[in-house]
Amino acid sequence: MLKQILNLTLIQHTIRTATPLILAALGGLLTEHAGMLNIGMEGIILLGSFFGVLGSYFFGSSLAGVLLAGLVGLIVGLIFAIFVIDLKSDEFIVGIAINIFAGGLTVFLLRSIFGVKGAFSSPNIIPLPRLNLPGISSIPFLDIIFNNHTVFIYISWIFVIMTYIYLYKTPYGIWLRAAGEYPEALETAGVSFRRMKYIASIACGILCGFAGSHLSLGYLTLFTENMSANRGFIALAAIIFGRANPIKTFGAALMFGFFDALGIRLQVVGVPSQFTQMIPYVATIVALFILTRRQLTKRKRDSEKQFK
Amino acid sequence: MNSRFSSEDLEYIVSLTLSIAVSLIMGALIMIANGRSPMVGYGALIRGAFGGKYSIANTLAKTVPLALTGLATAISFRSGIFNIGGEGQLYLGAFAAAYVGITFTALPKGLGMLLAILAGALVGGLYAYVPGFLKVKYKIDEVITTIMLNTVAVLFTSYLVNYPFAPAAGKLNATEIISEQFHLSRLIRLSTLNTSIFFMGFIALFMYYLMEKTSAGYDFKLVGQNSLFARFGGIDDRKQMLIAMVISGSLCGLAGVFEVLGVHYRFLQHISPGYAWDGMLVALIVKNNPIGVMIMSIFFGALKTGSIAMENATSIPSELVLVIQSIIILFIAGERGFKDKFKEWNLRRRVGQKAGERNA
Repeated sequence: MLKQILNLTLIQHTIRTATPLILAALGGLLTEHAGMLNIGMEGIILLGSFFGVLGSYFFGSSLAGVLLAGLVGLIVGLIFAIFVIDLKSDEFIVGIAINIFAGGLTVFLLRSIFGVKGAFSSPNIIPLPRLNLPGISSIPFLDIIFNNHTVFIYISWIFVIMTYIYLYKTPYGIWLRAAGEYPEALETAGVSFRRMKYIASIACGILCGFAGSHLSLGYLTLFTENMSANRGFIALAAIIFGRANPIKTFGAALMFGFFDALGIRLQVVGVPSQFTQMIPYVATIVALFILTRRQLTKRKRDSEKQFK
Repeated sequence: MNSRFSSEDLEYIVSLTLSIAVSLIMGALIMIANGRSPMVGYGALIRGAFGGKYSIANTLAKTVPLALTGLATAISFRSGIFNIGGEGQLYLGAFAAAYVGITFTALPKGLGMLLAILAGALVGGLYAYVPGFLKVKYKIDEVITTIMLNTVAVLFTSYLVNYPFAPAAGKLNATEIISEQFHLSRLIRLSTLNTSIFFMGFIALFMYYLMEKTSAGYDFKLVGQNSLFARFGGIDDRKQMLIAMVISGSLCGLAGVFEVLGVHYRFLQHISPGYAWDGMLVALIVKNNPIGVMIMSIFFGALKTGSIAMENATSIPSELVLVIQSIIILFIAGERGFKDKFKEWNLRRRVGQKAGERNA
């Protein structure tokens, strides 16, 4: 039984399930650095899933689906930015509104456009193409793990590196982080923190839209109600777990993807999957606990040093 | 503070009414875009929510969980601790009630019911205590922890109903039916409205009294507005926050209890279609005012009930009301910002006019 569960395809599935998490988490960590927390990611992923299917179905191209999903993400990211940055709304109220809006709108459109309840699938929905890297298809190990994936998987890895370089190796990244931590300093330096925040929020929307389209066009080609299934919140967990560092967040997303993939396999052999599904959430709380404990003791140590 | 409306309150009521009106108009536009008449749609909605005894009963039945979770949000948010884990607390409270209902079948009616209600409130309260404690003791963001704990509770109860508590007949994603004496009586034929509405009324009165008429309520408010100031004033702000959190969790637990004892007579894996989120919106819209929560709960309950009647009569999907609700909350979230922008614009226009006059 163990062999049935722990094999190379598990790694392949891990990579698959982690990809939407990675995309959304990268977007979310940009807003996190810019000093905003968007819990509406869940809703944007859901919208991305729906509009991905819609675009692919009507334009007969998966690229069109992805672009439409990205566009919808962009619009929602822009709305989030307008409300949070310019209208000074509470970011998590706006996030909740986005989630409820997405849940309502997708089901509403599912029923008024396609006339179905629950799920929509059709041969006219064009899935994302699968890639086979020519060099490694002859190597059995690597072939199973790295081949037969959608292009998004490789793109998401490139995005991880790009985000890392952007945040830590370019002035824009410094501006972005400053927009979250020292907006006044940034203004003094002649850079608009408003603009940096807008960029972060919009990028987050687009990436979450992509994440959604990968869910509905990647390996399954269908849309189901509430398809995002908490992935936005798991992405949030990955950001917190990875302390908003792109590489560490990537690692956290992979780990959470692994437990997800593992849970599905356990369920197949009759073992309850609920506990493996809980792992990202519990791990995040534990991580927060350890993190703050460490900070508290460090602060204590620092203050003790002062009196020596 | 006295109970009369201040001009600020009045101004808020105006913008609230305006927000709701604009959202309803947007809903009408969506109906038109779908080729349906908004007059027919909203007509069916209003009739479905208030047209007759049965409709009103259904609206009130939907009001119960909304009001309880709304009040739960109000007390915690007012105290400056943000419990958005209501959904998880509701699930655990509901399960606790179902557990009592299928286990202690020998108890007499009143006592058994009381035990189920207390168990649900206790479990909900305890589950809120955890993030509350982490917040006041270790300053761990309760927004994040409560979001995470929501899913943990939903998954945990899903495990319980599918494994240790799966009915003898096989997995139904639900527990066995609770014993007869735990059923709250139904009030109107065919409607799920049950005696929990009276419990809710009593709880609402109590919460109103607690929040608006007692010094404890004033302390909650003070802590929420400025915890440091409250601490200098001799209030133990951490204790207040923790108490508010536990009360909030208990109320969400109770919302779950009444769904089990009054509506489903068992615990279901998906017992709540997001009542706690809706309740939170209710409280946010009225700025955590307990009377406002009651009025808005009825309004949201009516939207929920009416939307189903609207769907049956006009085939406009009932999810339209979710879209309308989220637009309302978005407007309310931006209310102050909109007002500031408007004032700024108005000022600039007037200054511009004056400058123009001077130049002329």
